[in-house]
Amino acid sequence: MEKPAGKSAKFRLMGKKQSKDLFFAVILLLPTFYILFKTFLFPIYQSLVWSMYKYHMLDGSDVVFVGFSNFTALFKNHDFWTATYFTGYFTVLSTAAELVLGLFSALLLNQMFRGRVFFRMIIIIPWAMLTLVNGLLWKWIFQPGNGSFTIILKKIHVLSASENPLWLADAHHIINSVVVADVWKMTPFMTLLLLAGLQAIPSTLYEAAMMDGAGFWKKLRYVTIPQLFPILMIAVVLRTIAAFRVYDILTVFTGDPTTSISYLTFNKAFRYFYLGEASAMAWVSTAIILVFIVLYIRMLKKNSHEV
Amino acid sequence: MFEPTIEQRTVKNEVATVKGKSRLFKVKSTDLIPPFYLWCGLILLALFTLAPFVYLFTSSISKTEELLSGHLVPHSPTLENYYRLFTGNGAAEFIAAMKNSIIVSLGTTVFTLALAIFASYAFSKVVFPFRNSALFTVLAMQLLPSISIIAPLYVMMRNGITVAIPFTNVILLHTPPLLDTVWSLIISYTTFSLPFAIWIMTGYFQTIPKALEEAAIIDGCSRMGSLFRIIIPLAMPGIAATAIFTLLLAWDEFMFASAFTQSFASKTLPIAIREFIGKHNIDWGLMTAGGFIASLPPVLVSVFLYKYIVGGLAGGGVKE
Repeated sequence: MEKPAGKSAKFRLMGKKQSKDLFFAVILLLPTFYILFKTFLFPIYQSLVWSMYKYHMLDGSDVVFVGFSNFTALFKNHDFWTATYFTGYFTVLSTAAELVLGLFSALLLNQMFRGRVFFRMIIIIPWAMLTLVNGLLWKWIFQPGNGSFTIILKKIHVLSASENPLWLADAHHIINSVVVADVWKMTPFMTLLLLAGLQAIPSTLYEAAMMDGAGFWKKLRYVTIPQLFPILMIAVVLRTIAAFRVYDILTVFTGDPTTSISYLTFNKAFRYFYLGEASAMAWVSTAIILVFIVLYIRMLKKNSHEV
Repeated sequence: MFEPTIEQRTVKNEVATVKGKSRLFKVKSTDLIPPFYLWCGLILLALFTLAPFVYLFTSSISKTEELLSGHLVPHSPTLENYYRLFTGNGAAEFIAAMKNSIIVSLGTTVFTLALAIFASYAFSKVVFPFRNSALFTVLAMQLLPSISIIAPLYVMMRNGITVAIPFTNVILLHTPPLLDTVWSLIISYTTFSLPFAIWIMTGYFQTIPKALEEAAIIDGCSRMGSLFRIIIPLAMPGIAATAIFTLLLAWDEFMFASAFTQSFASKTLPIAIREFIGKHNIDWGLMTAGGFIASLPPVLVSVFLYKYIVGGLAGGGVKE
């Protein structure tokens, strides 16, 4: 990317060409900026304002400024902490599993073998499936009795014929199943990102490692992972941000909104219409994710400087 | 920041192996995994990837009794579930949902591309102050959770959108309330797709050498002319990748759709499928048939246009 104009240049009197360029850029960007401002930046600001008001959309009560009491009420709320715990649990577990599986799949698909394109193509299938259908499919697989997971375990004699475990018995079981569903759908994304990174590792490094007699684990430990590290970190941050807002897949599995912060926020807003409290909750997620976004942008900038 | 796309690198790798004919005899240094383990891993990978998808299909062509008695493979395959899906009780709503999904995803894609092409051109080819800061702001917007703007957007859709010239009282357009219309979804999805569309396409546009455009301008092309004659044709793979990501995102989105839609005037497929659940007995046959139909378009698009998706991902595009 070209270097941005230096600070001094920005405020210097612009030449004819620059002012023409500026005018052209404004014309090109105006519609996009107008839309993003109106439907993105302003709403974010608006929800920050609402988070400090008591605002119920339907009961006709007055909108009252309440300062930070929506936030203090939130932090005393047991449901909120349950939801935070489950969101964290889901995010850490699914991102970790996707990272490990994605790395090994990428290593497999980076080698030369017959039919490589076929394998690279089929891994896209789970990623392309509707999230809702993915949830439903795994719920079907984890049904007690006639779900395929139970049946297969019985066929390979892990479960005896009389056993019938309830895989979706409580919130913990459900989150674990949702992790499996999410891993199935999103590991390909990780794989493709890491594959791009693997292809950029110069083969001379591996040749040198081979000279030193390094086997699979040593090559992985001393060449692949250090070389891939920037992309690994980017992939992890991206998946963390995405996993943190888990919502739609959960609605298939459970009606219990305390299984994720997004679920709880959505219900607060669109089931009970407490827009003030919902905005406060939304801003807690926004703030947490903003931290990751800053981290991500710093990594991107660092990487682009190194290249 | 924007390195060669995956395809370019793959081609390089392939050329390299053709040159070194010895790959049958000598293990390539970049091949970490010995062949036996490689194929074990590949078989596991294929099994883990395909089995659930195949199971979705086999369930959808099974009779209800077979599903209840736990047959993984149908003994007497039937299209009964599909027949019920398109002619049974909920058929009208499911077909309406398909129609809405198609309108919403195509509408979103057209609007997003139309806006993002110009914005990306400005970001990649025109020099102006605060360009990089603006670009990173756009990137940050791409990653913010949709939950943070959903409530204000809901109120906006309920009241109707007013398009006015800022700082004046001139109102250009005031729409009627948009809740429960496909427009509410098209507008909100466009908002969400724009940032990543701009991000991916800016990356692609930057890979096009400046000299090409300069030559066109010397030949008497205007800047707009060079955008349409030089940049857009050359950046077609990037534009295709963006279009695919936008389509898939709009097809898949659930949260906004469940907040903004109430009737089958605007319900999309994810909502229609969600509504199969929630009754006491889940009809798995019907549900897997509906799920399979709904997943088929994005799966086919992704498999056939796989190389554009890979290129887009490598170019920094992020679709969730």
